Amino acid sequence: MDAIEKLKVLADAAKYDVSCSSSGSNRANKKGGLGNASVAGICHSWSDDGRCISLLKILMTNYCIYDCAYCVNRSSNDLPRAAFTPDEIVDITINFYKRNYIEGLFLSSAVYKSPDYTMEMIYQVVKRLREVENFNGYIHIKAIPGADETIVERVGHLVDRMSVNIELPTEEGLKLLAPQKTKEKILKPMEQIRKSIVQNIDERKVFRSSPKFVPAGQTTQLIIGATPDSDFKILRLSEGLYKGYSLKRVYYSAFVPVSTNSKLPAISSPPLVRENRLYQADWLLRFYKFEARELLDETKPDFDLALDPKCDWALRNIHLFPVEINKVDYNMLLRVPGIGVKSAMRIVQARRFGSIDFEDLRKMGIVLKRAQYFITCKGKHYGLKSMNQEVIRSRIIDKVDNNGIIQLSLFDTPKIEGGKPRLISPNGGLLI
Amino acid sequence: MIVYIYDGTFDGLLTCIYEAYYRHENPYDIVPVDRLEDNFLLQRYIIKTEMENAEKVYKSIEEKISPEALRRVFYGFLSELPGSGKVILDYLRVGFKLGRSVDDNLANDAVLAMTKLCQKVSGERHAMLGLLRFKMLDNGILYAEYEPQYNITGLIAPHFTSRISNENWIIHDIKRNIAAFYNKKEWIIRELELENELVIHEDEEEYQEMWKSYYKHISIASRKNLRLKKNHMPMKYWKHLVELK
Repeated sequence: MDAIEKLKVLADAAKYDVSCSSSGSNRANKKGGLGNASVAGICHSWSDDGRCISLLKILMTNYCIYDCAYCVNRSSNDLPRAAFTPDEIVDITINFYKRNYIEGLFLSSAVYKSPDYTMEMIYQVVKRLREVENFNGYIHIKAIPGADETIVERVGHLVDRMSVNIELPTEEGLKLLAPQKTKEKILKPMEQIRKSIVQNIDERKVFRSSPKFVPAGQTTQLIIGATPDSDFKILRLSEGLYKGYSLKRVYYSAFVPVSTNSKLPAISSPPLVRENRLYQADWLLRFYKFEARELLDETKPDFDLALDPKCDWALRNIHLFPVEINKVDYNMLLRVPGIGVKSAMRIVQARRFGSIDFEDLRKMGIVLKRAQYFITCKGKHYGLKSMNQEVIRSRIIDKVDNNGIIQLSLFDTPKIEGGKPRLISPNGGLLI
Repeated sequence: MIVYIYDGTFDGLLTCIYEAYYRHENPYDIVPVDRLEDNFLLQRYIIKTEMENAEKVYKSIEEKISPEALRRVFYGFLSELPGSGKVILDYLRVGFKLGRSVDDNLANDAVLAMTKLCQKVSGERHAMLGLLRFKMLDNGILYAEYEPQYNITGLIAPHFTSRISNENWIIHDIKRNIAAFYNKKEWIIRELELENELVIHEDEEEYQEMWKSYYKHISIASRKNLRLKKNHMPMKYWKHLVELK
């Protein structure tokens, strides 16, 4: 099989891993070397499913000794198999990188022969790239659960990011769908990576030149909808991972039916809206200072598919609103539906120069479609007369059809209830 | 209505700013000579570029407002959009009054217009860091052609000098006929119009084919969402993307 055929097979095998970000590392280029990392990350293309392509995301091989029911590469699945040699991966990575197709490499693998053997092969590729080719672009490596600690440690000193996929959010799920894996086996490398990162940061305070260990941090992925676990369970797990394991990101992957195993739920399409709601909630945990318990609890274990988690929270706590945009503190501004981190910062900046009114907000590019119901500007409320949560809810709800897909209207422009007509800017609206 | 006309250089624009203050005038617009539109109502003044005056304006923006303000003015200049000269002048008037904190005052129309103008340019600059595509020529030079909306070649070149530092490369803006050249040491911008067809390296097509099939196979069919793809990657850039040809 030539390289291009292998690339097809092993890209197909890798595509269900969601992570493709290239952010968080500021690795510099070395003399005579190729590549560096950009802290903010750079997307190089977008595939037909709208997901960003930043890294060359491939498996080393898709020959697998495990037979996990949810996984496309399970040993009992009848599909073409291939294995790259380290040379082939190095050659493709370098040549794609030079042409500015990619930001780096995301290398994962099915478990071939044994976890140790697989991890060793991955190490060989990374070592070649860094030490022989002097490649300083971004590298993300999947740590194989069960692999020897010393190999994981060696790989960690060469790469920018490492991840261990949890995949199934509960132990029962693992037992049912991936009986060859255990919770302990998955959590062990995560804990090892966390410890080494902390240790490395301390070391570098004393010895500035000691090599960085996984500078872009570690991440994981959870599959949504392959097991009957509630959103609350999943979100609590994420919260624990952020707090206890200092993870940079938890990725959620809507389960794509790749098998007709009787242990799996029968679904016709991946639960994309649910995945989206979990991402929104994840952002609320990381950037909006929410706690999982505020968003969901045992009595309400799943998100409302028709409403984003922040709106849902605000409606259940309608007694806190409306808030005055000129007075309310930053943390509460963040909790207003429709106002994000950037908008909240803009408001805080702008109001130092004088009080801002509704028209100012609109000019500053703050989306008022949802926010209008929850704020006042200089004491004036531009939403509805009533602060009844049911009434507001009916106005901001997303239309969801029978398949759980949000219907977007062609005329989905924000309708401002009490606002004045849009002002035309003095220079004829050329640049505004 | 007064319009200032300058030679199209950044120093020319700064000279116009100087003149507006010196003559106590408030021009309706400041335009480069090649983008001049005929209008019966306009009273035109051709402003000759004076390096000394331009230098004064450059320094006072940097010192009396901030280096960030200078960056914004330069980005605004590179946008080459109609009306951008006026946006810059209005912004600087507010800037010289408020000083360092000018950029926080987003409720001010002039500051807001400058912010939005600047965002357009920096947005395209960032997008191009990812969307630029090099091909290897027969002589080993990496060559990229593209048609950016704004004049960003000088803004993206430094990124590639540190990233692809050990190769010779050319980034060619075929809309403006200018290119950034890099020789493993330093980079310059020069005019460039190709006369002959470029000869590509013998391996080039193979890697392009690989990239195309990778692109096709990394997408998940059951999640197809072409609208999202277009939102992230506007169709105006597709022409020069290997994977979409």
